[in-house]
Amino acid sequence: MTVPVIEAQELSKIYDAGRMEVQALHDVNMTINKGEFTAIVGPSGSGKTTLLNLFGGLDTATSGSLSVVDRDIALLSKRQRADMRLHYLGFVFQAYNLVPVLTVRENVEFVLELQGVGNERSQRAREVLDELGLSEFADRRPNELSGGQQQRVAVARAIASRPQLVLADEPTANLDGENAEILLTMMRRLNTEHDITFVFSTHDPRVVAYAQRVITLVDGCVDKDETKSIDSC
Amino acid sequence: MKINLSARYAFRSLSRHLRRTTLSILGVGVGCGLCLFTIAFIRGEKKMMVRAAAESGAGHLTVVPNAWINTRDNDLRLDNWESKRQEIGDIEGIRIVTPRAETDALLAFGTRMRGIQMTGVDPQTEPVANRLVQKLVEGRYLTSGETGRVVIGRTVTKRLDVALDDDLMVTVAGIDGRMSSAMLRIVGIIETGSRELDGTICHATLEQIQELTGRSGATQLTILLEKPENLVHMEKQLQNHMGDSASVLDWEELLPEMAAGVEGDKTWTRMIVIIIMTVVFLGIASAQLAAVLERRREFAVLSALGMKSGRLVLIMLIEGVVLGFAGALLGLVLGVPTAYYVATRGIDFSGLYGEVEMSMSNILFDPIFYGDFGWWLVPLSFVLALVATSLSSLYPAWYAARTDPAGALRVEQ
Repeated sequence: MTVPVIEAQELSKIYDAGRMEVQALHDVNMTINKGEFTAIVGPSGSGKTTLLNLFGGLDTATSGSLSVVDRDIALLSKRQRADMRLHYLGFVFQAYNLVPVLTVRENVEFVLELQGVGNERSQRAREVLDELGLSEFADRRPNELSGGQQQRVAVARAIASRPQLVLADEPTANLDGENAEILLTMMRRLNTEHDITFVFSTHDPRVVAYAQRVITLVDGCVDKDETKSIDSC
Repeated sequence: MKINLSARYAFRSLSRHLRRTTLSILGVGVGCGLCLFTIAFIRGEKKMMVRAAAESGAGHLTVVPNAWINTRDNDLRLDNWESKRQEIGDIEGIRIVTPRAETDALLAFGTRMRGIQMTGVDPQTEPVANRLVQKLVEGRYLTSGETGRVVIGRTVTKRLDVALDDDLMVTVAGIDGRMSSAMLRIVGIIETGSRELDGTICHATLEQIQELTGRSGATQLTILLEKPENLVHMEKQLQNHMGDSASVLDWEELLPEMAAGVEGDKTWTRMIVIIIMTVVFLGIASAQLAAVLERRREFAVLSALGMKSGRLVLIMLIEGVVLGFAGALLGLVLGVPTAYYVATRGIDFSGLYGEVEMSMSNILFDPIFYGDFGWWLVPLSFVLALVATSLSSLYPAWYAARTDPAGALRVEQ
């Protein structure tokens, strides 16, 4: 049985760029089900990041409806969206974005602290780092790690809170081929072993190769959906 | 103790730009140090002024006839002043009680004359209570019960062209309105260094004043306290003791112009402290805002991870408090030795006034001003620094809390 994690209907986003408006997304309809490993592809400016931001409640749609982990994003306050991200979502960014003044372990623990996890915080962080083969870096600061290692830590941070959905924005953009492979293998394993839904934006063909489902955006519209045909402009 | 990760994050964030953090702490520290010094100095100055006023004749407290408050009539006399003096002297916390009777007098020597307020004193207690008497430079002071003798200031001797052992013709208005005169011999000359002040000194015994005016007793009982800081409490206690028979005034009521000067100094101090702390406030706010702007992306990421605005504000406040704490310590390091030096060695203002001693409103001041010093400097430093840095962190914290995560991430990309 398929359980929708994301349901978008007629989703549009218009940015006010001074005197002119920029339509980043145009009537996007999309459903992503639990356990999917989905790539959103498209050229620069096609609306990939905007779509992920809307999915993550970081931004609000101009029109249309969006439900993420059974929550109507439009009805949530800023605080409730932060709560949703904290408890149900994980984020992985292109530039890793680890907190530079915290060690690897602390970066992972930080999310757990925000979640209000108490004494078992350290234990859980250790488990996640062990699982992703990052234990040896636990006490290092991000600047002591390679890009690939940092991105793996970012994934560890994203899944430490045991989210239902991980949103990754161009996760391999700054990685070489080998590191990109390692990261994707790891994400795929987490997807299958923990049933975590992954949605990532990319224009990296290596990533596309790993995806079960590939949704192509062109000029803010869904142009192609490899597994299922969705409304197009 | 395991430090909360948010606090650890705040602490470590301060180490990102050590130079900026160091300069911020330096700014807070120097500001605090300056404030501590200023406050300590002005507090010390106030204490000195109060002591000078009290010991220049005004006393900390003065008991006067009730009617004197409105009329300031020196012909009034206290009822049962001797028993009152005895009772007051027995109260704990009273250093000394000395009676005074004043009358307007005309001093004449040959063809020269000078009007003056003549003070009848108890020669036993007056030298202890009045620092002017300690400036006796020629002859001797009065002795108990003696009449026909007077001690005057140097300026009076110059204006009347008299010297020690000369006889002055003293004329006063008697009890029945008739003029009463007597020849009084100059037995002592007081020279405070202030010409103005030396022109007002004319002491005789209470008995002499009674003999001249026909009014017996004292116009006032001047009181010095063991601890001037207990002034308010002692004033209340004394007034209760006196009941309706007499009024108790403190030095501020007796010398309103001097009290206004002290109040002016307090206002000035507050202004200096406010100016210094405003500069510190703006400096820290600017540094903290710069730190927020640099970390916009980081805050956006933390927000994306689920961090709420409140936690972000808390982190910025922790950073402000750490800066404040370190600044307070530095303020103590800078301010305490300076305040201690000024409290123990003082600042000598005699250079500004030459050899002449300083006086105002018939009060003789020491030319060396001493600051105040005590444990109060420690909490004061922390209060000043922590209030300034916490307040100055509020705007950057609010700004950080308003970070639009999507916008910040988009811009950075």
